[in-house]
Amino acid sequence: MAGSRQPAAAGAAPPSRGRPPPGRRLAAWLSQERVFRLIPFIAVEAVFILVIIIPFILTIYISLLRWRANRPFEQANFSGFLNYGRVLGKDEFWMALGRTFYFAGAAVILELLIGFVLAYLLHRHFRGRRLYITIFLAPMMVVPVVVGYNFSMIYVDSGPLNEILAPFLEPFGIDPRIRWLSHPLAAQWAIILADVWQWTSLTFLIFLSGFAALPQQLVDAARVLGASPSQIFWRVHLPLLKPAIIIAVVIRSMEALKMFDPVVLLTFGGPGISTQTIAYYLWQEVWVFNKYSYGAAASILLLIFFAVFIFLGIWLLVRQRESVRRVDV
Amino acid sequence: MAEIVLRDLVKHFGSAVAVAGVHLQIEDGEFLIMVGPSGCGKTTTLNMISGLETPTSGEIFIGDQVVNDLEPGERGLGMVFQDLALFPHMTVFENIAFGLRVKKTEEAEVERRVRAAADAMHIGALLDKRPSECSGGEAQRVALARTIVNDPSVFLMDEPLSSLDAKLRLDMRTELKHLHHRLRATFVYVTHDQAEAMTMADRIVVMEGGRIEQVGAPLEIYRRPASRFVAGFFGVPTMNFLEGEVAAGAGDGLEFRSTRVVQPLSASTPAAVAGSAATLGVRAEHVRLAPSDDGAGRVTLTEPLGDETLVFFEFGGSAPLVAKVDPDSPLGPGDPVAFDFDRDWCHLFDPESGARLN
Repeated sequence: MAGSRQPAAAGAAPPSRGRPPPGRRLAAWLSQERVFRLIPFIAVEAVFILVIIIPFILTIYISLLRWRANRPFEQANFSGFLNYGRVLGKDEFWMALGRTFYFAGAAVILELLIGFVLAYLLHRHFRGRRLYITIFLAPMMVVPVVVGYNFSMIYVDSGPLNEILAPFLEPFGIDPRIRWLSHPLAAQWAIILADVWQWTSLTFLIFLSGFAALPQQLVDAARVLGASPSQIFWRVHLPLLKPAIIIAVVIRSMEALKMFDPVVLLTFGGPGISTQTIAYYLWQEVWVFNKYSYGAAASILLLIFFAVFIFLGIWLLVRQRESVRRVDV
Repeated sequence: MAEIVLRDLVKHFGSAVAVAGVHLQIEDGEFLIMVGPSGCGKTTTLNMISGLETPTSGEIFIGDQVVNDLEPGERGLGMVFQDLALFPHMTVFENIAFGLRVKKTEEAEVERRVRAAADAMHIGALLDKRPSECSGGEAQRVALARTIVNDPSVFLMDEPLSSLDAKLRLDMRTELKHLHHRLRATFVYVTHDQAEAMTMADRIVVMEGGRIEQVGAPLEIYRRPASRFVAGFFGVPTMNFLEGEVAAGAGDGLEFRSTRVVQPLSASTPAAVAGSAATLGVRAEHVRLAPSDDGAGRVTLTEPLGDETLVFFEFGGSAPLVAKVDPDSPLGPGDPVAFDFDRDWCHLFDPESGARLN
């Protein structure tokens, strides 16, 4: 049998051809398995290097120079860590940083709490649920400039917010004409509330998807075992939602620490410097005073501070999650 | 006292009727299995007993008490779920202790009872692990331990073995039966696997379309199915069915006539069915085959199972028949065979309603 197949196999051999043209040879080479699977990787790496690595290295380089943008770059000279020292020694930097943590902390805590409560109320199916979800998600989709404009109208001394508050404040002898944008403390909370209004939608969305992913059978099991609704909330819902909480905290903290739009749109950092966040402070140093190398050094320092802060936050939350597992129910 | 009575239980989901009037009495200490295809209403019925679903109408008694308005945790039940529903963020110990701790049981008592339940289920070494670190069988035991630790008088089980592999499922069947003997509690078990129902139950409830088709002991259901649905649902391979009519036979008795088949029926067949169309049902073990050159059948396929062999054969009817024969039978595909049915085990069903006629 094997012998009879031999001539047929030899007859089926393809006839030899000449070398294909270079274009087809390149296409054939690219379509090889070992080459083809690297193409997306190389594309992503190239974008990563162009968009992140090169500007990052450039920022470090500029931070080590002494240079203002209103002078030719050729006159910039190497100054070592001088800019870093100046940033760290500047009170305004630390005050702006402290204010940023205060704004971000207050805003993120409120956004988490309100978003969680709304998601808890809406995670069960009932008539009109979709309408409520759409309404609560809408603020996230509004352009920040529009949010700033709207809130500047709301915060006017004789505006709607003071009108609404007046009946509650006047009986206690409090002047209902709160100067939302010109009193330091009120202006700070005006900015925090605008941020909370816009970004609670995001935490609501994260928690809503977290609730949707909770297996109903776990809740059923807890009910059959005799757990009350509050026990189910604290011992089943909350621990299982920890991943969603961590995601919400990280995403919102990262964004809130860069708070800039409401400051520009509502107060321009004022009154005085009472609402200057670190992003606003940096913008002013770089774009108003042209202190590029100072700004670059401050950016690098902020990157380090924020990274440490975010990772510390994640570590604390994860550690707390571990302890929740061990806590007596 | 853990007798359960379901009185005219109905459940609607919108316009869909999931349970359409179930009336059932479950005795104290009984192992009752509800079986049926997907969507037959068995899980909904179980969920209404547990309190996870509210009946649209009807009453549920546990002991002497109507429990319709009681929360699941107030009914004194234990439940094992289809995917076990172990809390993934807790250790095995915390899972088992959950029911005791939500009832504010003293910690020393919790410790003692959790260890006793774990030892009873042979999972004492797993107490510090998480459910994700347990194998399928271990997780099954954890779910059982979490239930028995609360000492319920009724165990509800919703297809608890469906996620296990075939071997483990067989082992767990035996174990569940032992557990029932040991605890003497009432077990209400839901499955779509007729083999599970046959092997474990004291009584089986067969459901279809939200209604109970038949209630009875496993062998009673196997031997005297109340309807064509029950007859087809129980038994491997599926019962043979032939469409035809019942007529007066050569002697005093009746016979069933179909294409190429004339089957005498037992003397106990009621005379009233004579002259009416009927479906004849006969199980594979009641089909007798013999090699015969002038036989009406021809073997198309054989399936050796070890202890017996299934022989599928054509006979000119609308569908092939199957017979169980001795594993040493020489029959093979293409062999001509003669066949007849054991008249005492011929089941007659109404072709319209499917109800049993004999």
